[in-house]
Amino acid sequence: MTGNPFDPVTLSKIANMELRARLLVDGVLSGIHKSPYTGSCIEFLEHKEYSPGNEIKHIDWKVLAKTDKYYVKQFEEETNLRCYLFLDTSGSMGYKSTGISKFEYAATLAASLSYLLLKQSDLVGLISFSDRVLHYIPPRSRIAHLHTLLNVLTELKTAGKSNISAVLNDFIEKIGRRSLIIIISDFFDHVKEIIHQLKHFQFKKNEVILFHILDPYELTFPFETVTFFESMEDERHILADPKSMKEQYLSEMNSFLEQFKQSCLENQIDYWLIDSSTPMDQALIKFLARRESSLQSVHKT
Amino acid sequence: MLSFLNPILLLGILGASIPIIIHLINKRKAVSHKFAAIDFLLETNKRISIKFKLRHLVLLILRVCLIVFLALSLAKPFIKNSGGGVEEKNIPTSNVIIIDDSFSMQYSDHHGSFFLSAKTAAKQIVDALKKDDKAAVITLSSTAFQVLQELEDDKKHLLNFIDQSQPGFTATHIAPALDAAVEILATAKTSAKRIFLITDMTRNGWDPHWFKSGHEKLRRHVSRIHIIDVSEGKTLKNIAITHVEPHLNLLERNAEGHIKVTISNFSPVRTKDLPASVFLDGKKLTQGFFNIEANASETKEFFVTAEKGKDHLGWVEISEDNLKGDNKRYFTINASHTIDTLLIDGDPRTNIYESETFYLEKALNPGREHVSSIKPSICSIHEINNITFANFNIVFLCNVETLPPEKIQELENFVREGGSVIFTLGNKVEADYYNNAFSALLPHRLHTIRTFSGNSPLSEEQPLHLKVAEPIHPVIRMLSETQIDTLPLVNFYRMFYVDPTPLGSCKTVISFSNDTPALIERQVGRGKSVLFTASIDRDWTDFPVKSFFLPVMQQLCRYMTGGIPEEISQEILVKQSWQYPSSYDVNAIETTNPEGTQAIVQQQLVDNEKYFEYKETNMPGIYAVTVGEKLHPQFPAYFPVNIDAAESNLEKISQNEIEVYMGGTNLSITTSHRGEESDVLFGEAKKTLWGHFLLLTLFILFIESFISRK
Repeated sequence: MTGNPFDPVTLSKIANMELRARLLVDGVLSGIHKSPYTGSCIEFLEHKEYSPGNEIKHIDWKVLAKTDKYYVKQFEEETNLRCYLFLDTSGSMGYKSTGISKFEYAATLAASLSYLLLKQSDLVGLISFSDRVLHYIPPRSRIAHLHTLLNVLTELKTAGKSNISAVLNDFIEKIGRRSLIIIISDFFDHVKEIIHQLKHFQFKKNEVILFHILDPYELTFPFETVTFFESMEDERHILADPKSMKEQYLSEMNSFLEQFKQSCLENQIDYWLIDSSTPMDQALIKFLARRESSLQSVHKT
Repeated sequence: MLSFLNPILLLGILGASIPIIIHLINKRKAVSHKFAAIDFLLETNKRISIKFKLRHLVLLILRVCLIVFLALSLAKPFIKNSGGGVEEKNIPTSNVIIIDDSFSMQYSDHHGSFFLSAKTAAKQIVDALKKDDKAAVITLSSTAFQVLQELEDDKKHLLNFIDQSQPGFTATHIAPALDAAVEILATAKTSAKRIFLITDMTRNGWDPHWFKSGHEKLRRHVSRIHIIDVSEGKTLKNIAITHVEPHLNLLERNAEGHIKVTISNFSPVRTKDLPASVFLDGKKLTQGFFNIEANASETKEFFVTAEKGKDHLGWVEISEDNLKGDNKRYFTINASHTIDTLLIDGDPRTNIYESETFYLEKALNPGREHVSSIKPSICSIHEINNITFANFNIVFLCNVETLPPEKIQELENFVREGGSVIFTLGNKVEADYYNNAFSALLPHRLHTIRTFSGNSPLSEEQPLHLKVAEPIHPVIRMLSETQIDTLPLVNFYRMFYVDPTPLGSCKTVISFSNDTPALIERQVGRGKSVLFTASIDRDWTDFPVKSFFLPVMQQLCRYMTGGIPEEISQEILVKQSWQYPSSYDVNAIETTNPEGTQAIVQQQLVDNEKYFEYKETNMPGIYAVTVGEKLHPQFPAYFPVNIDAAESNLEKISQNEIEVYMGGTNLSITTSHRGEESDVLFGEAKKTLWGHFLLLTLFILFIESFISRK
């Protein structure tokens, strides 16, 4: 990627928004995310009757004075989120009809999300992949980490086939519990296998967000004249009359998208289909706004 | 064998490569596009690939076919029927070209008349003849000027002759023309002998009887017959005046009567409100409207008044159609001819009312003056020697007992020369005397007198009555139905029986109710003899006081002197000769045809009788007759000549029928020749196909646009 994915206009529009993970996350640093662990943090959570083994320093002496019973204080700890950004750099991501390619769009999205997360002191890691992992930048929360991420994003190039499930499989063990996993790809892969792998992450209480980036031409297939279509990942090609194929192609594509979306829904995976012609700020605002509202509803319940 | 009129246009078939080239260019020109969702395209292609490729293939084939068929149709293909024609190309041929110049060939459409097309076709045939080929040209009317009966190889002469030939007004007669053609070809020395018959294929004129024997002659002497249908197989429509018959009553000061006009619709559709006008002496007298069903005729009567004492000419006219000549039909009214009759009274009485001839004279001339065209003169038997029969047209012998032998002889001569005698009987007549004296004149021998009693109603022998004999005689034809209906009311109390065996060529005009003849006609030489087997006064019958006695006697006189045509068919048609008995004092007459050409007609003998015969009735119209440039009382001033109504019927004869008639003769029939090469006229091209190819092209175009849109 040659351009700067860190679009200042986009960043300025989303700077005041907070990305909140739906689930509680483990964290060391204080942040806006609720920690599942009780500890010596600032905010008091509840009292618990002392039992042997509890630390004596947590005994609430005031309560002992009032009630003559030993209670230990339990605190609600705020922690920061560990986020893994999976960015597809396979050949198909290099497709662009007008404007920017899917990859450029995806990289910008990744950069924007990184900035957002780092700004709220979350840990952000980046994994770029095609049919294998190409770069792995472990999660860090320092703001200087953003430069590292941006440098990597700038240098990335699209090539090779994609094999998302294999890449995910590599990270099942590496990624701990309660992390946020964001995958940005066109998902021209075996959907069932991807879903299967993602289930493993979910089992470990990780939250998964899929950004499905597609070019408008892939969604509408507006070709008119006889065209020699070539694959972007291998040697496959086809001479086709788009007019005669359009209807059937769109049917196939919609069927694929519908099936993918349904699978995600069934497995409580957050799925976002984004047309690469959609302005990035609109797409991000829409995404964040919806997450915000869905998160609030979760908290209420 | 498939041939082309414009073979150069077959190069257009090369254009069939255009869709293929476009297809290949399109394939090469296909834009290369790297596409991420190739999996979906491949999957889609798997599903629709066969359909897609098939559609493309079908479109390609259709487009190729479209150009091929378009080029083929523009090249004007036709199937050549080369049977018998190929070998004739290499050997000298003898040809007879028969041009149908009958009246129906004057039928005109937007291309001009059929006759013009026939001439063009004939010239094409002559042009196509080779160096050693010979040809003769004959026309169906085949007058001396319209036949080139010698086979010759001078194309210029042949073409010149064809150019000069003119359409006629005669009916079609195929058989005589074929006879003449066979006669010409029979003497030819070449082995290839061909007849070209250029006609409009109307049924009229194809005489099936001739072909029963004629086809053998054709097969023997003719190697091939080419029939060229200049009507191009079309159904022809025509409306024609087919008959005009004037009936005039000459008793009144002005001749009043009616003209029967028959108009026939020879087309498959009904004609409505067709105006028909009657003209007399150049002035329009009246007009009527005809509504005629398809292929039917309608007759109407037009009432007219003509000045007596002169001859009148007239015509009936309808609006013009494709065949013009039969939209006008001519007629003449002869109202000037005076009939001098001699009534020999065998029973004169002092009291005039009791005289034998009283009622007869009153019937022939009812007024005090001679207002009738019949002028009766009465004489008794004693005055007979002072009278010459030749000064009269008709001699009545009314109850005459005897005649001097020299007068009998004079009477016989008089009748043989064209005069007429009418015998009426009575009490003075003796059968034996009459049978002996007038055997040369009487239609039947007299037998016995038979008396019927009318006094007693119980009597078995009731008075006899009259009835019309079949077929209806022209004398009776003009009677009205009311008058004919009253014929049975006439009573006859006495009459002569006659021998059943006629003495010559006889016709019964009126019969008695017991079927015995009452009025009998016999042709004697050029004259006529009539026998009335009862009395002409009231002695034996009440006939003279009946209302129709007068018209019957008047008509009888007119009939006897040729004043009314005996049969309808005696109307003079084009090319039929006009004959008129020669007057003693006239040796030559002049006739003037409708174009004003005058001809001198000399007296001649026809069947030992002196006649004037005029044969040049080549066109319809009114012909004038004069003697020494003046009208002559013995001759009609005019006579009409009309077109044969049969020729107006343009019903076509089918090719199958002709093939049956020709029975085994090598035959080709060409229905379309306009704009074609002469090969077509030689029967080498039978069916053009370009129309079919064009239709196919349009069909393919439709299918192609339908598939490509889809």
